[in-house]
Amino acid sequence: MFSNLILRNSSRSRKENGLFFSSLVISIVAFYIILSLSKQDVMVFLMKLESNAVNQLLMIIPVFYGITLGILFFLIYFACNYQLQRRRKEFAVYLMMGMSGRKLFAMLLAEDLLSSILALVIGLPIAVLLSELISLITAKLVGIGIIGHKFTFSLPAVGFTIAGFLVIKLTAFLVLSRKISRQEIGTLLFDSSGNKTKQKPAFVHGIWAALGIIMLAAAYAMAIEGSVWYEIATMFLTLFLGLLGTMFLFYGIWAVIALPIKAGKANQNLSVFTFRQIQENVIHQSLSMAVSSLLILAALCCFGVGIASANQQDKEHMLDYTFRDCSAENSKDFLTRLQAVLMENDLDSQFSQLSEMRIGHISTAENHRNEFQMDSVMESLSRLPPSEDRNILMNNLSYVDYPHLICLSDYNRLLKTAGKPALTLAANEAAVYQDSDFTNSSRTAMLNKILSGSPQAMIGKKPVYLTGECQSLDLVTDRSITLFFALILPDEQFLHDTKGHYDVYVNGIMSQETTKDCSLITAISDLNTRLDGMNLQDIGIEYESYLQTISRQLFYMVATSYITIYLAIIFLVVANTILGVQFLMNQQKTGRRYQTLVRLGAAYENLCDSARKQINWFIGLPVFVASVSSFFGVKALFQSFLSSQVQGTQEEMLLVSAAMIFVLCVVEYIYVTAIKGLSDRYLLTLMQPRREE
Amino acid sequence: MEPILNIENVSKTYGSVPNQTKALNGITFQVMPGEFLGIIGSSGSGKSTLLNCIAAVMQPTGGSIVIEGKKLQSLKGKALAAYRGQTVGYLFQNFELLDNLTGEENILLPAFLHSMIEKEGHRRLNQLAEYLEITDVLDKFPAQMSGGQRQRVAAARAMILHPKLLLADEPTGALDSKNAKNLMKKLSGLNQDEQATILMVTHDSNAASFCKRILFIQDGVIFHEIRRGDESRQDFYQRILKVMAQLGGGSCHVL
Repeated sequence: MFSNLILRNSSRSRKENGLFFSSLVISIVAFYIILSLSKQDVMVFLMKLESNAVNQLLMIIPVFYGITLGILFFLIYFACNYQLQRRRKEFAVYLMMGMSGRKLFAMLLAEDLLSSILALVIGLPIAVLLSELISLITAKLVGIGIIGHKFTFSLPAVGFTIAGFLVIKLTAFLVLSRKISRQEIGTLLFDSSGNKTKQKPAFVHGIWAALGIIMLAAAYAMAIEGSVWYEIATMFLTLFLGLLGTMFLFYGIWAVIALPIKAGKANQNLSVFTFRQIQENVIHQSLSMAVSSLLILAALCCFGVGIASANQQDKEHMLDYTFRDCSAENSKDFLTRLQAVLMENDLDSQFSQLSEMRIGHISTAENHRNEFQMDSVMESLSRLPPSEDRNILMNNLSYVDYPHLICLSDYNRLLKTAGKPALTLAANEAAVYQDSDFTNSSRTAMLNKILSGSPQAMIGKKPVYLTGECQSLDLVTDRSITLFFALILPDEQFLHDTKGHYDVYVNGIMSQETTKDCSLITAISDLNTRLDGMNLQDIGIEYESYLQTISRQLFYMVATSYITIYLAIIFLVVANTILGVQFLMNQQKTGRRYQTLVRLGAAYENLCDSARKQINWFIGLPVFVASVSSFFGVKALFQSFLSSQVQGTQEEMLLVSAAMIFVLCVVEYIYVTAIKGLSDRYLLTLMQPRREE
Repeated sequence: MEPILNIENVSKTYGSVPNQTKALNGITFQVMPGEFLGIIGSSGSGKSTLLNCIAAVMQPTGGSIVIEGKKLQSLKGKALAAYRGQTVGYLFQNFELLDNLTGEENILLPAFLHSMIEKEGHRRLNQLAEYLEITDVLDKFPAQMSGGQRQRVAAARAMILHPKLLLADEPTGALDSKNAKNLMKKLSGLNQDEQATILMVTHDSNAASFCKRILFIQDGVIFHEIRRGDESRQDFYQRILKVMAQLGGGSCHVL
């Protein structure tokens, strides 16, 4: 009989609070997926190439897990509190009938455990399947092949998911049941939680709202200004203003929205009732609306970063391999030596092109410092209107006194491969080269503007005119050499100025037959295995391949998008569940009002209409405020924390925002529809009168 | 004169076969326009069930309820909702004012629900508020009103649409004797001045003494009926008490 009671109570709680229960299931799925990250095909693949980075990532995942557990704890605490409060009378009756406190506690514990286990039983299989699916899709997308895919099941992930979930659930439960068990039966029986109206006069709400808006505006201004993120104090001030501003705004928001709600078709049907219901919800639940809004904002920012990094544009890919001479021999014949070695091992057919890239230093003078001067460029720069980019560029260029030199014919070959027109330089001309990692579009534009005037510079005592646009094609495949600033010189000038002392890099492009049947990643991996078997280092040849670049990019992409999207989902789920549960619980608490309306002749459709309007406002407001804030939040994130590669252009920002808003709309649509469905169902039960004594 | 309400052999059973409770066991009576009818009975006698059936929040198991020539059981959906608000007004024992609406908004709620013209609604509101002496609580919330004020606001809400029939379910049940008397005076005033037809269910003999006719109900059947002629309210009250004594302690009814 006791166990029957437990079963029935537990299933009733789930039915009454289905939204909360499904959120728990979603959280379990998210937990497993993030915890089983190490078993994902992409991660297994990256483990071979970037094991350090991957290990570091796997080390910080428990931290994220812990943070999300903390957030989820509050959701569980809040929802369970509501549920237990609703059952106060029932507990009092149990106690009156002589059930011991301990037994009541055991009963509630068993009920709770039953629901938790059910959530795990539903959630875990979904999680395992979903994580497999994600693994396969990402593997397919990045082209590492899914033939070798094995079904994985991460036992530690399951263990941690179960443990974490049960721990927060039980902690919340213990705290709450202690609160209940300390109360007298009398206070449980006679519900003391009357409706206290804590409504203040409209102008008081107005003042709070104004204060909130001012603080938010200040926080927005500081956030997009950028420099505040470099100092901890200003950073905290910005965040603090934003947090407090949002809370104040929601506390006073009633003053802002009262008029528009009242203006819409007043005095029709249930408009007055709807207006008052929204008022009550907004004023009484301002704190949870503010918290939800902040959570949605956090989710949007995470989504923004996640989408941006998943969508990261890699640099134009041209070169597959770079060989470097590290023998003591004369490097001038490195290309022929390399070709011979490749021929010996039957690898020459693998490459459609092998070409030299000669890079040297100015060696015409004894003194290596101040070999190069470009005062006129610096002067033109200092005349430009001051800006952060100009200052950075001036600072960087002021260190350029001993630049690298690049041979024009080699660079032109690179341009040809990239499908761009070749450079032509007169004997006294040079082109400027800057690696794209060290600059951004506005700085390059600044420099190009100055270069269009062909300013004069000095190599030693010889004048040289800097012409053309600033060049930035990658000179080698990966990172054998990256140059902040170099000069491209005509071949004769190059040989003269370097006095024949230069390094030779040989860039290789794989032939089409090699990459025809498999993805590029597989082709390069195969070739790497064969090259490694040749012991190239013994004969003084080092190589790097495009695989390193890919895997590094892949790692950043996968790591950031996984973590941010995971956090975003958790935040969104928690925020929406708080709002949904809050609304539905309140609706049930004020169920009598709806019953009265039925007696006064309100049709079911009218009631549903009114409830739907209330839901729209109750959920729409936090979402709207979060969306506005997210515009500034994402902009601040892009400006301050993300690498220049992700920063991208305005159009990319717009695209990211569009994607973000789309995701938000889809999620909110699902939640709002679910909540409206639950509300309709509840209202239907009120249409049937119950016998009351 | 056609009766407003015609109740014929109405029965209502709760539960299924082995444990059936017969709340109403074939009740028949009529209500004429302008009448103030009381139905009196002890708790469990079936009076609330009867009122719920008339208010169309419950379907009777058998018999027919005809109001203004229309059979209640045939009404569905919108027509039913319109019936609840417009044809009958309902006065609850516990007032059932919406506590987040002001007095005025509470009273005007049925007017909005059934799209009464706004001007007409306000005119009617002022008239009722003045009569029921609640003009100074119109902009207050129920929590700021006294019990008597709340019930008078509820009465105004029930009367705003000129219902053909006002159903009052123990309207004095939650009031002290002074407020109860005051409310009953107002109700019988409405009955006399506006020709409002009122059907009141109660177990309070004092409140019942304001009625013009009283039906006594016990175990789901009408057991007795008395009419107030020209006698004073006091005398009528005495007569009610006498019947009540028979009802509870009459020699033939001793259990």
